[in-house]
Amino acid sequence: MEAFFANLLNGLSWGMLLFLISMGLTTVFGVMGVLNFAHGSLFMLGAYLCLQFVRWTGSFWIGLILGPPLVAALSVLIERFLLRPLYGRDVSLQLLLTFGLMLFLDDGVRLIWGAAYHVVNPPEVLSGSVALFSRSYPLYRLFLVILGPIVGIGLWAFFTYTLWGKLLRAAATDRQMAEIVGVRVPVLFTAVFAFGAWLAAVGGALAAPHQSVGPAMGERIIIESFIVVVIGGMGSFPGAFVGALVLGLLHSFGTTFFPQLQMALPYILLAVILLIRPRGLFGAES
Amino acid sequence: MKNKSLTPVLVLLVMVFSAGIGLAADKPVKIGFAYIMSGPFATYGQFAKQGAELAIDELNAKGGILGRKVESFFEDTAGKPDVGIRVIRKHVFENGADVVMGLDSSGVAAAVAPVMMELKTPLLVTHAATPDVTGSKCNRYTFRVSLNINQNIAMASAIAADMKSKIWTTAGPDYSFGHQSWEYFQQYLARKKPDAVFLPQAEVAFSPAATTDFSSYITKIMNSKAEGVLISLWGGNLIDFVRQAADMGFFDGKRDILMTLGAATEVLYALKDKMPTGIWVGTRYWFLANDTPVNQAFVEAFSKRYNVYPSYNAHGAYAAVKAYAAAAEKVKSVEKEKIVEGLRGLSLELPVGKITIRPEDHQAITDGAWGVTAADPNYPIRILKPIRKFSGAEITPPVAETGCKMN
Repeated sequence: MEAFFANLLNGLSWGMLLFLISMGLTTVFGVMGVLNFAHGSLFMLGAYLCLQFVRWTGSFWIGLILGPPLVAALSVLIERFLLRPLYGRDVSLQLLLTFGLMLFLDDGVRLIWGAAYHVVNPPEVLSGSVALFSRSYPLYRLFLVILGPIVGIGLWAFFTYTLWGKLLRAAATDRQMAEIVGVRVPVLFTAVFAFGAWLAAVGGALAAPHQSVGPAMGERIIIESFIVVVIGGMGSFPGAFVGALVLGLLHSFGTTFFPQLQMALPYILLAVILLIRPRGLFGAES
Repeated sequence: MKNKSLTPVLVLLVMVFSAGIGLAADKPVKIGFAYIMSGPFATYGQFAKQGAELAIDELNAKGGILGRKVESFFEDTAGKPDVGIRVIRKHVFENGADVVMGLDSSGVAAAVAPVMMELKTPLLVTHAATPDVTGSKCNRYTFRVSLNINQNIAMASAIAADMKSKIWTTAGPDYSFGHQSWEYFQQYLARKKPDAVFLPQAEVAFSPAATTDFSSYITKIMNSKAEGVLISLWGGNLIDFVRQAADMGFFDGKRDILMTLGAATEVLYALKDKMPTGIWVGTRYWFLANDTPVNQAFVEAFSKRYNVYPSYNAHGAYAAVKAYAAAAEKVKSVEKEKIVEGLRGLSLELPVGKITIRPEDHQAITDGAWGVTAADPNYPIRILKPIRKFSGAEITPPVAETGCKMN
């Protein structure tokens, strides 16, 4: 029982981190049709900025609040000046651009902060642990487990009830129609891209107290985020949530029960989903 | 007519040859380095580069090698075997390297070593620890100046034999390095302590190199009946593991813990006071393990120049450059075949201590040190206190066990 709960919490906390990152990825894809390879690098940037703010101010919260808007601001420039000329052109150009951005950002981070590993401490309130049966469980992980659904519900409410959310969904469903009825789609696209980047950076800042901050930390997480998005259905929010949870739990329970298969499990799941439901669990059937 | 037309050709030939001789005397000695310079392990390449540059500057300040200036070239292996082979070829064919050095990953080293027979250029491995490079894949041109897995695990098992724990498990990276570390640990500890029990393969914890969340592996170990844990994770993996394990109460003193690369300074600098005290940790080189003048001079020069204490990878690159220079002085040449002869059986004093390159398998017999992590107000990082030193002779397996058939 104790082992079961420990595994459950391990899987949920990792899944929630994956969810935050996959959310941005799937939003940008769902609305703009852009598969952003540099999403992992924006995640990394969020972690590094959080590290920098912690160094300056000593406060994790300041890093969590101030870092992501800076990443969003950078991505406004990326969308406006690099990505926009490529809409309407071959998709491979977008892939090349975002892949190039990833390399550029990874090396940029190394130039500024060096190649060494860095450590960010969790904030004081969340640095302890709580009793869980005969063991203790880190508070910061529980914080992640609770934060995930809150962010998920917040985003869902945003997309369902607010004007901006409705506009986004309208533009995602039919871009031309949205333009005809007067939606300024280019501005919307910039906002969506910045929003996706903000989510990635929030994920990065939240990951900083949990794992070491180092160059290429984004490359590791981007693969799993892609799997989440494909399993859940490209562009689907509930899909990203379920996909992230499934992958997180597969990771924790797989380690205990199928250690030899553990590395292959996400890919096996991916293959099975693609065979049974090629558009993902929550993907719209066309 | 014939003679007349030949004369300018002959004159030209004489000029070319004499120019060639003139150039040879001043031609620099070229060293090609291949390390991981990008991606999550880039910090290892950076440290190696610092160590190499320090050694080369020291040599050049004293007139170079045999009066020739030393030049260096650095290439990024990205930790990938195919890239490793490509950059080593580039060093030999494009950069005209007289010798190549480096290699961080065992996978890269195992792929590159056989290629050296074809390139006929000496290779000095400074970090990769797979026994194959000086074992089943040993060859005339491949040497290693750093500790290998067997030597490090021999120390780990000697320490484990003195501990109370009987049931052992492991947490390691899920590729050859982690698996070989665990295999040799079982083999060596069983010899010293016949009643030791090892958890079966399905119950130990091997994590993919890209893992950043170790919670499920930590839970698995804590739920097993193991009393002792051999941890062969390294670099960023080890940092993540230690932080997450500390939060989960793993270091509660109830189990014996050995970290084979826990005394790597890049890990200690990242973790600072997050590194638990009282844990047995190993490394390839520990800057406080001996107080010989050679070591003191190295630590002082390195920390003055780079503002950090030297990591084992910096020492590895430094040691390789110094070993090469010593071999060249010994045979009075930098010709590749002569260097091979010079390196075989070479003994020299390095910061780590006196090393001897065994002629039978080209593995350096080098002293090693493990220690217990401790806090010390005089250092920004955890240091080792007490330190247990091992002589190269007692930790290096006999040639017969290495599987090396030198050609």
